[in-house]
Amino acid sequence: MNARYGMVIDLDRCTGCGSCMVACAAENNVPPIPQASPRTGTTPMLVRRVSNGMEAGAQREVFIPIMCMHCEHETPCVSVCPQQAVEVDKATGIVMQMPQRCLGCRYCMTACPYHARYFNWWDPAWPAGMEKSLNPGVAVRMRGVVEKCNMCHARLHSAMAKAAITGKREIDPADYVPACVEACPTAAIQFGNLADQNDPVSHEAHSPDAFRLLARLDTEPKVYYKSKEAWVKALAESKSGPGSEVKHG
Amino acid sequence: MKLTRRDLLWGVAGTAGLLVTPVPWKLLDDVSIWSQNWPWIPQPARGPVEVKQSFCTLCPNGCGMRVRMASGWPVGVAGVASHPVSRGALCPLGFGAHQLNWHPRRLRTVRHRASSSSWEAARVAFAKACSEGPIAIIDGYPGRAASSVFETFVQKRNGSYRTVPGPETLALAPYESWSGVPAAGLGYDLENAQTIVSFGAPLLDGWATPGRFTRLWAERAAGSTDPQLRLIQVEASLSRTAARAWQWVPVHAGSEVALAEGVARVLLEERLVPARGPMPPMTLAEAAEQTGLSTGAIVDLARTMVARLPVVAIANDDNPAIAALNVVLGAAGARGGIVRRSKHAESYASAEADVESARAVLIDSTVPWDFAPPTNAEVFRFAAWDGGTGTSDWLLPAPGFLEDLTDVPTAPASAIATYAVAPSLLKAPPEVQSAAQFLGGIDPALITVEKIIHTRCADLFRGRAGTLQGQETTSVAKVASVQKLEEQLWKGAVWIDEPPRSAAFRCELKEWPATVGSAPAMSSSENWSKAWRAPVLPPLASKLYLESSLREPPDRRNV
Repeated sequence: MNARYGMVIDLDRCTGCGSCMVACAAENNVPPIPQASPRTGTTPMLVRRVSNGMEAGAQREVFIPIMCMHCEHETPCVSVCPQQAVEVDKATGIVMQMPQRCLGCRYCMTACPYHARYFNWWDPAWPAGMEKSLNPGVAVRMRGVVEKCNMCHARLHSAMAKAAITGKREIDPADYVPACVEACPTAAIQFGNLADQNDPVSHEAHSPDAFRLLARLDTEPKVYYKSKEAWVKALAESKSGPGSEVKHG
Repeated sequence: MKLTRRDLLWGVAGTAGLLVTPVPWKLLDDVSIWSQNWPWIPQPARGPVEVKQSFCTLCPNGCGMRVRMASGWPVGVAGVASHPVSRGALCPLGFGAHQLNWHPRRLRTVRHRASSSSWEAARVAFAKACSEGPIAIIDGYPGRAASSVFETFVQKRNGSYRTVPGPETLALAPYESWSGVPAAGLGYDLENAQTIVSFGAPLLDGWATPGRFTRLWAERAAGSTDPQLRLIQVEASLSRTAARAWQWVPVHAGSEVALAEGVARVLLEERLVPARGPMPPMTLAEAAEQTGLSTGAIVDLARTMVARLPVVAIANDDNPAIAALNVVLGAAGARGGIVRRSKHAESYASAEADVESARAVLIDSTVPWDFAPPTNAEVFRFAAWDGGTGTSDWLLPAPGFLEDLTDVPTAPASAIATYAVAPSLLKAPPEVQSAAQFLGGIDPALITVEKIIHTRCADLFRGRAGTLQGQETTSVAKVASVQKLEEQLWKGAVWIDEPPRSAAFRCELKEWPATVGSAPAMSSSENWSKAWRAPVLPPLASKLYLESSLREPPDRRNV
């Protein structure tokens, strides 16, 4: 396998419903944390609501799903990790986080320009009996380690196992669809192999409306965004980050 | 003992020697792994994984659901792309629904006025109430097999059967009073509309079946400056729907009715529509003053609405002004507007009527927790979860998510009639009972839900109409037997009725209806949780409401 998995998120289609956030948490056994705040919660997929800052009728808003961008070039979190707990998978391009190696120093969180990494401040806990509803394909991470989106790596493993059983070397793309992509009711999130010229996602990533967040940093994120609106594209290079974010929209 | 320079050198050399062996690194690695697997860290269940088809029963929309089960327990849900109405989508709360049965507020004991009681005591009390006076049963999702059980029970005792309609059904109520066609038999033909004007209805944020309009909008409108489907949102604030609409018309809060009347006047005066009268009492200038728009903006809106037909206006409540606007637009009973999907729909009385004189009121678990019947009668409330402060005399534990066999009738606002069966994928705990089971304990002659579903399947088979949509689409006429049809429905197929030969119905407006102003729009945080009929939200809703800034926590933040 020599893929470069990535996503193209059409912001003109995102309605900010949050289905991707809940589906991601359910798939990856992220615990519900009632005592958490937006600063301390664990949301590997996080939808932000951003306004153009105009008044009344000229006001416009957009919803931006933010997750690990899976940077290809000089991946910031990889270079700062003292434990080699982060690496870019050569076969898939997915930036992998290994909680078993993580010391919880949080250098990676500081280094990540997208604020897409989360620290587990609490022991993972579910109400009594609810552990029966956990996804058997994903191990639970403990307090004190960092986690983030891994493009539903367990689903990739399942797809690879299925391919191996049938004697194939390559997986069927239909077998590997991350939970957020599956959950999106407007198909705003598309997933595929950016290295495959025939993959629709590869075409979308090169469309004139596509852009990447903070592209000037030259980290070559594998998550692309798309919008026809100029003010939305301008957000991509905003130095203030989510400064115009609408809280509790 | 004196530490010499030689001892120090030996110590350094020994430490260096140890570090070049794998021992300390192996120990560090082991400690790290061991400390991350404390016995109190939950471990996912192991066992065979299988996928079963079902339907979400937490609101009346009945979205198709694929349930992944491990060792017999649900571990994840996803939408079913082949479902004709939900089309593969679920609401954000639905994705965490499989964890609801272990919610800390799950009800497991019968409670009588805050103290523990028993099923037998509840049965005796309800039977006594039945013998002493009229009873009322209030249902949240009419049209189910359980609803038939309720209706049969009250008919035998001269009681009343009442429903609590959602906003989508309520908005269709004015057409029932003008045309005589039951609101439960009407729907919006959104698929054939070219312009949709929403007066505060959260079309992209929890309105009716979530996947139906969002998929339609994504295919025909999203991201286009000249879309095939024009969505115009009339709303005071920039809601999620307004943010994504083709045009947002910001009006003063509560002035949606004034705008509807102003637009209707322009349509009639400028003869932009074939309809002739009656004229709304509000003048254009009054409408402009109330809405905060200019008269020119209202005229432009009226012209835009009829620029691309068919057009339909959608309200968020039962205020008749917006329904009257649809009559003026010619959308009532027309393709791309309000259509009659079934000739067999029943008319249901609202729970607000005729329950105050009842001796006892039984409330099904499908009724929203916040609903309090206007009565002093003894209230028997079924619920799977305790929603907090309640006014019921009896609180009776009902089956939870996927624990009860039920059928899924047509979703509110749907333009086509459908039927499905949601089998119980989980065994209900012995201490819970559904309302239908409870009534069966009082009246053993009452027909069971399972038998009614069987009868309905037999009726569908005998009708030989429509198709079964599952993994593949099959005409009912080609299904070999009732058993085969029932088998497919139990495996997750959906029966879809044939489109009616004529969806038209006659709807006349003799005079402009009296209106009382618009109900305040729901906040966007309420949109999903209001439609959600369970008294608690799934724990993972904390991601939406507490662990991010995406949505303001609703009042019922039982997450």
